Amino acid sequence: MWLSFFTPDLFASAIRMATPLALAAIGGTICERSGVVNIALEGMMLVGAFFGVVVTLATNNVLLGVGAAIVAGVLLSAIHAFASVTLRMDQVVSGTALNILALGLTGFLMEVIYGHPGATNGIQHIIGPVFNFPTGGTGVLATIWTWIDQIVFSYTPIVYLAIIIAIVAQWAMFHTRWGLRLRALGEHPRAADTVGIRVQAGRYSAVLISGALAGLAGANLTLEQVGVYSDNMTSGRGFIALAANIFGRWTPAGSYLASLLFGFAEALEIRMQSFQSVIHVPVQFFLALPYVLVVIVLAGFMGRAVGPAAVGKPYEKE
Amino acid sequence: MPILELRDITKIFPGVRANDGVSLRLERGEIVALLGENGAGKSTLMNVVYGLMAPDGGEVFVDGAQVHIKTPRDAIALGIGMVHQHFMLVQTLTVTENIILGHEPSRFGVIDLVSARSKVSDLSTRYGLKVDPDERVADLSVGMQQRVEILKALFQGARILILDEPTAVLTPQEVRELFGVVRSLVAEGLSVVLITHKLDEVMGVADRVVVMRDGRVVGETTPAETDQVGLARMMVGRDVVLSVDKAPSKPGETVLEVRDLAVLDDRRLEALRCISLVVRAGEVVGIAGVDGNGQRELVEAIVGLRKPTSGSISLRGKDITHAAPHATIHAGVSHVPEDRQRRGLVLEFDLAENLVLGDQSDAPYASAGIMHGRVIDETARERIADYDVRTPSIRVLAGNLSGGNQQKLVLAREMGRDPDLLVAAQPTRGLDVGAIEFVHRRILAERDSGKAILLVSMELDEIMSLSDRILVMYEGRVAAELSSEEADAERIGYFMTGGSNKDGAPLQKPATTVAEGGAS
Repeated sequence: MWLSFFTPDLFASAIRMATPLALAAIGGTICERSGVVNIALEGMMLVGAFFGVVVTLATNNVLLGVGAAIVAGVLLSAIHAFASVTLRMDQVVSGTALNILALGLTGFLMEVIYGHPGATNGIQHIIGPVFNFPTGGTGVLATIWTWIDQIVFSYTPIVYLAIIIAIVAQWAMFHTRWGLRLRALGEHPRAADTVGIRVQAGRYSAVLISGALAGLAGANLTLEQVGVYSDNMTSGRGFIALAANIFGRWTPAGSYLASLLFGFAEALEIRMQSFQSVIHVPVQFFLALPYVLVVIVLAGFMGRAVGPAAVGKPYEKE
Repeated sequence: MPILELRDITKIFPGVRANDGVSLRLERGEIVALLGENGAGKSTLMNVVYGLMAPDGGEVFVDGAQVHIKTPRDAIALGIGMVHQHFMLVQTLTVTENIILGHEPSRFGVIDLVSARSKVSDLSTRYGLKVDPDERVADLSVGMQQRVEILKALFQGARILILDEPTAVLTPQEVRELFGVVRSLVAEGLSVVLITHKLDEVMGVADRVVVMRDGRVVGETTPAETDQVGLARMMVGRDVVLSVDKAPSKPGETVLEVRDLAVLDDRRLEALRCISLVVRAGEVVGIAGVDGNGQRELVEAIVGLRKPTSGSISLRGKDITHAAPHATIHAGVSHVPEDRQRRGLVLEFDLAENLVLGDQSDAPYASAGIMHGRVIDETARERIADYDVRTPSIRVLAGNLSGGNQQKLVLAREMGRDPDLLVAAQPTRGLDVGAIEFVHRRILAERDSGKAILLVSMELDEIMSLSDRILVMYEGRVAAELSSEEADAERIGYFMTGGSNKDGAPLQKPATTVAEGGAS
């Protein structure tokens, strides 16, 4: 039984499930490092997922769909940036409002465009895996190859892109001028200001980047994984991403690894559901698993998490 | 040609002319001290020069040419550097990262950390500002952090260096080092503006002194032409008594008795080890010591903010060892905390509300849980008049008062409830001479009216001028007890740094250690 439970597909599924979390989490990391709390990741993912499908259906071009998802995330994040950086609004209030807006807007437009609630029409072809190597055969070598193929070569483009983004962002945050200034902004914006760094512009760009990444996460959900947008389909992934950002101690690589953990929980959830006849546990238990894990990790194993000192505080010049 | 010249700078805040036609000239290689009380407009003026505030009028010239400084970037480009009173350092970054921030040596956006670090250590050796380039700023002492600030300005190419209250946070030793550095900077051709309200610093290091009061320049002089008394008069606008005159004390019965007290600090390490002391009615007992030798924990234990692990505290014979703060207030203990903004006042409350904090649920200010606004306001007006708190109204928020007025407000509340014991921690920290004089006179007046006073201060001068007896604390113990006659700075300093404790033997008998201390 265990052999058919822990298949290579379980681990591959974990990485797939981790991808939207990781993209949003890295966005959250960059945003919070600049000093802006972004609890609107959920909403940005949602509009990304939705407009990705809408544009793909309208143009029959999935690449344009991905672009539209990113643009939608950026536009929503621009509202967040304007509210929290320019207007100096409470960032949690702004983020909450945007989450509600995203949910209402997608639900409303769905009915307007497709005439029925609940879900959009499905797209014809979801984005397929990048590689397509032959597998099969028997023997040890064939088994090993199956594992390698499943865990390394079975993914769609955004999954690989997320890994690349995690590595590049991690390096950039600690080796480039952009990264140094970003970190200074979230810790002590006034210090950054006194050495001539433009605080507002820096925060704007960080918030917009987080919107782009969350939008891309949404595209991964609908255009690579599911092929259709259904109401509130992110179901809290934006918030799990925020938790991953904290668990990853506000670093891109840490965010990715923490997302892997939560992604594995999701994969486990799905796998367990198919073993329900054997395990005899109500399905709700499995559904709750990733969320329970978030609570346990953040409350129990994490210890004290220290975020950027100035996060959530609007910057005023005089 | 002066390297920096300000003409008629005016800066208006709502209701205040912070700078009112201020002109200032800085020659190359000169140290000009900008002297004035808190709120005189010194920092505002320099913030205008550094591009942090836009002036409402006036002109700035650098090297004889008029300039328009709109942002710090403009100021830096003109060779102006500023070390702010509250350091502008990112605690989580390293020394090198802080210094290069905003002017990072880089290729295609990638920071060249190797060349950055070597430039930093070059500057550091050239100006004698020793600091480890790879250390995290959060791990540095305040004095070291200030070096990083100066290095940052030099790295940015500063020719004019503005130091805003640079000594406020330094130990006497660090102050001496800083002024050594300042002199060597001037020798290298830099020009320095030193903002301060401390008279001895001005006399010691400045070439020329410009005195500001109420947003205006009220005078200009040189240390050779004047003395501290003359400077104080210019600064405050009236004669100031710098030394404290006091009558001999007439100690009465014991008010506070601390016996074998042991207390842990926030890291759960032993902060006080079996400390015993007595404060009698009508005397000031001063606690001297280097910051962090248990003074804070002692005060907190007495006023009920920290639980002792053993020992006892009693007030007029009544045990208050484990009393909560409210109970110690009722027992007759008043407390002037060292951080008036965090613990002394609620900055978002108005003056009347602040003046009844601690008594807010007791008669006559409240009954049956309902506060009596009229009684509170009347009392507030009386106390504000009594303690000379300068404010247009009792409805002003405490956060809008100057530091000196905030401290007067705390004193007004704490003394207003007529306590038996006043515990005053750092009562004049950050205050200017006028306010210091007021606080000192008030403390002595309370002593003369028969109150017991426990004074904790890092300022040796303050301890020596106010105290009738002096206890020197070192590593959580009383290292020595001195009478005010036998105490001088040298002797206190000796015990402050662990002087008599070289062999590691515990100090049981202060009297003998005094003799040893005096002999060596």
